[in-house]
Amino acid sequence: MNEFRFIGVDTARPDAPDKVSGRAQYIHDITLPGMLWGAIRFSDHAHARIRHIDTSEAEKLPGVEAVITAYNTPEVRIGFLRDNFALKRDKVRQFRDEIAAVAARDPETAREAAALIRVEYEPLPGVFSPEEALVEGAPLVHETDARGRARKDNIVPVRFAHHSGDLEAGKRASRHVVEGEYRVPLIQQSCMGTAGCIASFDARGNLTLVAKTQIPFLAQKDFNRALGALGLEGRNTRVVVPALGGGFGTGLDTHAYEYIAMLLAWRTGRPVKILYNREEEFAFLSPRQSASARIRQGCDENGRLTFREIEVVQDNGAYTSWGATFPSVMLVPATSLYRVQNVSFESKIVYTNNTYCQAMRGYGNPEITWPIESSIDELAELAGIDPFDMRLLNCNQPGETTPMGLKITTCGLKECLERTAASLDWKEKRGRQDAKRRGVGMAGVINVAGGGKIYRSDGSGIILKPDDYGNVNVSYGGVEMGQGLHSALALTVAEALGIRPENVIVNQTDTASCPWDVGTHASRGAFMACNAAVLAARKLKARLLEWAAEIYPQEVEEALARARRHSSFKEPDFDWRDAARRGQFELANGILTVTGAPELPELQVDFGRLLRAVHFRRQGPGTTFAEDAFYEPPTELPDWDKGIGNMSATYAFGAQGVEVEVDEETGEVKILRLVAVHDVGRVLNPQTLKGQIYGALAQGIGYAMYEQVLTDKGRVLNPGFTDYKLPTACEMGFPIDVQLVETNDPEGPFGAKGVGEPGLVPTAPAIANAIFDAIGVRIRDLPITPEKILLALRQRR
Amino acid sequence: MAYDYHRSGSLAEAFALAARDDSALIAGGTDLLVALRKKKRAAPARLVSIRSLPELTAIEAGPGLLRIGACAPLTEILAQPVVRERLPALAQALAVIGSRQIRNVATLGGNLCNASPGADSAPPLLVYDATVELAGTGGRRELPLSEFFLGPGRTALRPGEIMTAVCVPLPVPSAQSVFQRRSRVAMDLATASLAVNYELQGGVLKSVRLAAGAVAPTPLRLRAAESWLEGRAVNEETLAKAVELARGEIKPIDDLRGSAWYRSELIGVFLSRAFRNRKEGDA
Repeated sequence: MNEFRFIGVDTARPDAPDKVSGRAQYIHDITLPGMLWGAIRFSDHAHARIRHIDTSEAEKLPGVEAVITAYNTPEVRIGFLRDNFALKRDKVRQFRDEIAAVAARDPETAREAAALIRVEYEPLPGVFSPEEALVEGAPLVHETDARGRARKDNIVPVRFAHHSGDLEAGKRASRHVVEGEYRVPLIQQSCMGTAGCIASFDARGNLTLVAKTQIPFLAQKDFNRALGALGLEGRNTRVVVPALGGGFGTGLDTHAYEYIAMLLAWRTGRPVKILYNREEEFAFLSPRQSASARIRQGCDENGRLTFREIEVVQDNGAYTSWGATFPSVMLVPATSLYRVQNVSFESKIVYTNNTYCQAMRGYGNPEITWPIESSIDELAELAGIDPFDMRLLNCNQPGETTPMGLKITTCGLKECLERTAASLDWKEKRGRQDAKRRGVGMAGVINVAGGGKIYRSDGSGIILKPDDYGNVNVSYGGVEMGQGLHSALALTVAEALGIRPENVIVNQTDTASCPWDVGTHASRGAFMACNAAVLAARKLKARLLEWAAEIYPQEVEEALARARRHSSFKEPDFDWRDAARRGQFELANGILTVTGAPELPELQVDFGRLLRAVHFRRQGPGTTFAEDAFYEPPTELPDWDKGIGNMSATYAFGAQGVEVEVDEETGEVKILRLVAVHDVGRVLNPQTLKGQIYGALAQGIGYAMYEQVLTDKGRVLNPGFTDYKLPTACEMGFPIDVQLVETNDPEGPFGAKGVGEPGLVPTAPAIANAIFDAIGVRIRDLPITPEKILLALRQRR
Repeated sequence: MAYDYHRSGSLAEAFALAARDDSALIAGGTDLLVALRKKKRAAPARLVSIRSLPELTAIEAGPGLLRIGACAPLTEILAQPVVRERLPALAQALAVIGSRQIRNVATLGGNLCNASPGADSAPPLLVYDATVELAGTGGRRELPLSEFFLGPGRTALRPGEIMTAVCVPLPVPSAQSVFQRRSRVAMDLATASLAVNYELQGGVLKSVRLAAGAVAPTPLRLRAAESWLEGRAVNEETLAKAVELARGEIKPIDDLRGSAWYRSELIGVFLSRAFRNRKEGDA
């Protein structure tokens, strides 16, 4: 039984009709009057000194309005370590380094002009893997830090570590110990909508940036700082977010191309648009970084975990963005996926001359769950225990505090594991290794699900503004990027306020009208937005019901007077005046009435009529309404050096299982069945939630089996979908069993947890574990290609 | 990127325009337009469309022979019962070229004239002993398909010549043929492919034809393996030797789709399976 009217009910997304009919306005669809097009001249070398830049040919090209370089514009530093620049001077450190840019009347002219710029280089030796970069005396990617102090090595100065319990004691207490090195590749977020922006200035020097971003307010801060570099201190940036064709983490930082559009707009006095095509998106946008992890885990004779030790090395690329902070999220599963005392986690982020890396959905969690969950199976194999039993034995429990200090409130992991096993027919199928070479495997996940505190505030503001017609406009600082946030918000506002979802109008983000939000990441969008919405809706409802004492009798009397003109009218057999006097008002489904009233139209006041009656009041001054609220979750900013702190208000759990069939002659893996059971707290909208999980599973399978950005000495070799392979519908042609476990979290809006990321986290290890069950071969580096399997089979013989 | 687009009204006009340096012939355009967009070939001033010339799009089944116009779209070829019933390896290959939308416009002649080492239509046509009709202002000639491919993107077409048709002799009803291929995901270029056509008479193999794709500079017949198998009974030793010979004939490379080693492995698997899975058939 559903205790709610709208929460938990399958409801079409409000943004769906425009998106499927081509009406949604993406950055690709937007042009402004007088707008110019920008194009960027990228580096021809992975590592080189810039000797000379000749822009004269580009400037002569008809239609070109401006050509800029670092030598004729103010220095604009970007990135949280300030180690990157909008335009590079003196030196390039990666193939995508921006050396010059052009503004022209159309995109073709801009690109042609950019190609006419002549750059002379002095090539330098580069480093293209952490191993190369860490060698004593290796070429330095950055000779100095942002403050100009000399650097001695290529290690990025960020530290995320954790040491708890007594590692040596844990090792001594172990009957079985496994060790392995696992790798994950460089992959691309592969948004359907490529990156782009439009920058324009007003006559007072204020910037408006239409940007494909997930962090409008942090971007505003970054750009206001950049305005300072232009001598425009005190001027403001307004960030306007268009419909986003996917974010997946690409919009978590500001990008050089956005600052370049700003510089070109300032130089020309006209709006400037920069739009990446697919090849540029692949070669010049920040992907998800490659990493390696060495893991050691032990258990006692019963299979209870005794210790876990992990060392991670990440290829940062040439500059620092949020990719360098993935270990902050890795700490969560490293310390808290299954019960384990005695944990050691160390991470090293290394500068190279590869493309610099950024956020992607899951943000370190898939990277580290891959070794942890593969290693659990290795440990179970060594100990002679069923891996499902081992997971149950070490399962997290509600109410526990983990070594990281995570306070586990609700926890559905046990049920997720059990349902996964049941759906796979685990006890029947596991360990069979029959002639068909079929196997089953599973893996679990823990993920932040109540925000992820990585900034001074992890809060979200919201404004609810009704109009005269019974609609409520919602202004929220987070971003709908395709995940279904606006759907969750519409249902939440409707439920909490007592109106219908179709009367909730959620506006895409604009820093000029929306309250502050830290950004849409860490599976926090719906959790934060809906918590803030519930707070604001309560305030709004309380105000409306105060007015009801005056408005309700007045409107009902009027309606009754009209009704009495008809001879057939019968007076209601209900003392509504008494109920109104006692303040027993109810607002539900867009109708104001009093408790116990029969369903007569005369005793019901439509929400819009109520609002108009207050606005255009008969006696005395009327008013309009708006209410805001700010929700700050009860969390702590962790001490990253110690890796301790309850960074999220709640945690999501889940388990996934697969059955595979392996062709031992070709190495091909066929997925026969996929099960995904997730503890989601509470289902807000079943269809958008399942959509999140189906999409995440496809990404998880892509990560597991197909995707990899291939590079040669820093140059991307497969910048497009011809040779960068995502799974197609054909690869997804197997039954998928999605099951949702409702643990009704006390901190969640209506009990809901964040669900954006967990769906792709355990997919790869579940597949690898199933392959091992089928053919006894373990692949430790993603993607698991047929070729790697065949090679491993040959080496085993 | 802008071109003049000329829809050719007659074959004679197409021959004349094909000979000009400033023009490029376009049929389905599924390879050409990608190459132009990626600047993999010089931009012509004019695109000359030949896709609606009836002489080039007709599919005619004669006694013992199927003549397929070079500009017949793949879906129309696949819709022919004779293709599905008598030329199963060709049907299997055409069905995995691109997506349905691509197959609606892509043409058989285009797939062959693009001369990709991995052209999926080539191995089955090679094992069916297909010939191609080439014509131009200088006249018409016919060439075995096995002599048509000269290298990646290079064919025996002379300047101004157009491929007008592909002629496929229909195999005897007792012949068996199959096309196998692997790619990374669906709608991808082949990592390796193999077409096989043979008859089994009195327990021994006859008229064996093997042709591989994506494992050499051109699609190629594996003649040494064919000769070895001719007249032999199918057993594991015979197949092992055939695999060894086939692997000696191919020249695979490492690229983004797979390593030379894996391609060679796949050819061996395809070859073995083509015979192993069918040896109990209608001998």
